[in-house]
Amino acid sequence: MPDDLADVYRTTYRALVRFLYRKVWDAERAEDLAQEAFARALVHKPAHARGWLFVVAANMARDDARRAARERRHLTLLKSEPPASAPPSDEALHTEGERSQVRTALEQLTPRDREVLLLWDSGLSYDEIATQTGLARGAIGTTLARARRRLVEAFEAGRTGEHVARG
Amino acid sequence: MSHVDDGTLHAYLDAELSPVQSQDVEAHIAQCPGCRDRLEEERALIARADELLGLAAPPDRATPPFRPGDPEPPVRLWWRVRLPLAWAATVVLALGAGMYFGPRALQREQPAVDQRTGDLAAKSTLPPAAAPENGATSRAAPLPVRRTRAPAATSAVVERKSGAKDKSMEAVVADRASTAEAARPETAVALRARDERAAGALQQPVPRPALAPSPVRADQERAPAVAGMVGQYALTGSPVTLDSARALLGTDPYAVPDLPVRGIYRARLIGYSAVVVVKQALDSSTAIDVITGRQATLSLQAVVVTGAARSDTAQPAERALLGRAAAAPDSLAAAERRAEAAPVRARGAAANRPATALVFEVRGPLSPDSLAALQRRLQPLRP
Repeated sequence: MPDDLADVYRTTYRALVRFLYRKVWDAERAEDLAQEAFARALVHKPAHARGWLFVVAANMARDDARRAARERRHLTLLKSEPPASAPPSDEALHTEGERSQVRTALEQLTPRDREVLLLWDSGLSYDEIATQTGLARGAIGTTLARARRRLVEAFEAGRTGEHVARG
Repeated sequence: MSHVDDGTLHAYLDAELSPVQSQDVEAHIAQCPGCRDRLEEERALIARADELLGLAAPPDRATPPFRPGDPEPPVRLWWRVRLPLAWAATVVLALGAGMYFGPRALQREQPAVDQRTGDLAAKSTLPPAAAPENGATSRAAPLPVRRTRAPAATSAVVERKSGAKDKSMEAVVADRASTAEAARPETAVALRARDERAAGALQQPVPRPALAPSPVRADQERAPAVAGMVGQYALTGSPVTLDSARALLGTDPYAVPDLPVRGIYRARLIGYSAVVVVKQALDSSTAIDVITGRQATLSLQAVVVTGAARSDTAQPAERALLGRAAAAPDSLAAAERRAEAAPVRARGAAANRPATALVFEVRGPLSPDSLAALQRRLQPLRP
């Protein structure tokens, strides 16, 4: 691996996994896709490896989501019983519950808002995000402001809705 | 300045504004309580959004080492080491031809002297039991003979001038090497009998006391095979048939009887003209390599040691000359002569050419004792 790509790997790998995880919601899968993205970078030797990696990762995640959706349709027909495993602890359930609430909230964002938010959270700068998404640099702040507000609102709304349903 | 919009506030809080823009924002906030409140709200919003995203983060695991899709083959293939070896081979050929032809020419002139010098060496290094058969002849005043030969070797023939210089230096080293060998047990000496055969041959004509190798060689020519092989071999990756292996070695490759043979491969090893590796399955999970090698006329060790010795005897400038300019024409001429002589030597091989010494060794993931036990069981592999 060229030195610069090795550096990018060291500094960007976790961020790329994080980014991918919010798209595929499976840690193993996210790591596999991140590895795959770096393997492709090794072959293509892009000039701006970091940005390139996120583009490739986003594409792979989209393809992966489509495939997963296809497989789910088949699986729901096959799967009649839940898998027999130890019941998760309360804490794990709570964490899992919050995670799925955030996931639900994220999915209520527009694709563009979500993409900008996830790229920012993965450590990309406004410039990089602008290059990535095709938005004007000056629009990134506005998009981020909207995305953050909607995320928090959607999360709180989901929580309230849950409490109302339980109450 | 008008009020600051949300996007600018977020960009300000994200530290993504230019210094000038940041100063503008700060200047406005300083005199606008409404925007100051909004700034704090947006700050809280960003913190909350980050917190939520943090809840939806993958488990924090260590970054794994990079795994490329198609990893490099673990085996270092022959053609990857070919270029460096080609250089080494050139040097071996150059020096080797010099070693081979120089002494031979002198041997033709004075065969009787060689005989006597060798006997002297026998007397000095071998236990008395080995000496008596030669003892009588070796008393025939070897010293005067060597003294008369000294000028012949140093003034030499014109065409062999640089070669002769090489040889005298090599001889110095060969002396050292053989002295070291003499201190080792006989079996260890036996391992390098071939090397020393070459070294011993060139010690005789030069005016230095010859030591161990000559008598050892006399024994070794009768010993067909010696155990223990120095160095690592590189598989070419191409399997060969038993017939090809036999043709390469000029004899049957060795193998452990009653063990299934997984494959026969040709291998390369410096100092060996032919190496055959027979892979045998010891059990379902263990495989051993039985290596049968035919030693080449020259060994790399001799060359390496020779180079080291020059520092004692040659001036730096001389050394540079010997190493580069002087060695080049000599090597070419030597190669030609070698090529001419090859058929003759091939015919001679049928006689008792010492180059026919076979070396075999068992390698595998086993204890040295087990390997030694397997080695004792080795038999020629026959179809």
